[in-house]
Amino acid sequence: MIVKFNKNFYNSSAVKSAIKSYQGLADFSLKENQKFITVYLKNIDRNFKHIIKDEFCNFVLGETIKWRTKL
Amino acid sequence: MEEKIELKKNQNQILVKINPKLYPLEAVYGACYVFLDKAYVFLDGDPKKEIKVFLKGKEKLTSQELEGLAGEFSNELLNYALRNEISKRNQKIREYIVGQALFFANPEEFEEDKSFEEDPLGIAIPWEEKHTTKKKTKRTNKKKK
Repeated sequence: MIVKFNKNFYNSSAVKSAIKSYQGLADFSLKENQKFITVYLKNIDRNFKHIIKDEFCNFVLGETIKWRTKL
Repeated sequence: MEEKIELKKNQNQILVKINPKLYPLEAVYGACYVFLDKAYVFLDGDPKKEIKVFLKGKEKLTSQELEGLAGEFSNELLNYALRNEISKRNQKIREYIVGQALFFANPEEFEEDKSFEEDPLGIAIPWEEKHTTKKKTKRTNKKKK
């Protein structure tokens, strides 16, 4: 499973923080280029396979917004 | 209407396209934050040209419900855009009010330094005052002689 976050809207430290929180549910790896932060999910917990992507995206967005308001 | 809505029924989601010249990114973030509990929210696009907000139902939603979700989101967006504008306009007055509140909460911290009033070296006495008194005393001494 792959999720691509647009760097214009998402913050990389927010993605890393979300990975930390979700690492018990799947194996995560991260790649970053100029435009996107790409997250690869493997060995996903069976019980959460259908919602993990959406929940993870929501979590990253929440963290990004929190991070922005701290500035 | 500057925002455009695109229904993606089979994906249980709706796309709201926003003109960033009308709605600043901060307002989009504000509205998205409110919607994190109601729907799955995903952002994409170009913050200078067009912001794309994907809203996906947490449960299976009908077309009408998805459109309702997009409508609610647009309202929230407008609400945050207005908030943002008012907050910018009132920034100075808010700072002044907070400053006043802090002053009255603990005025001792803001008390003026009045140590200069003591003047042990007599710096504050005008030059004329200092010297005319001395001359006067000298003249009176001469007359006495």
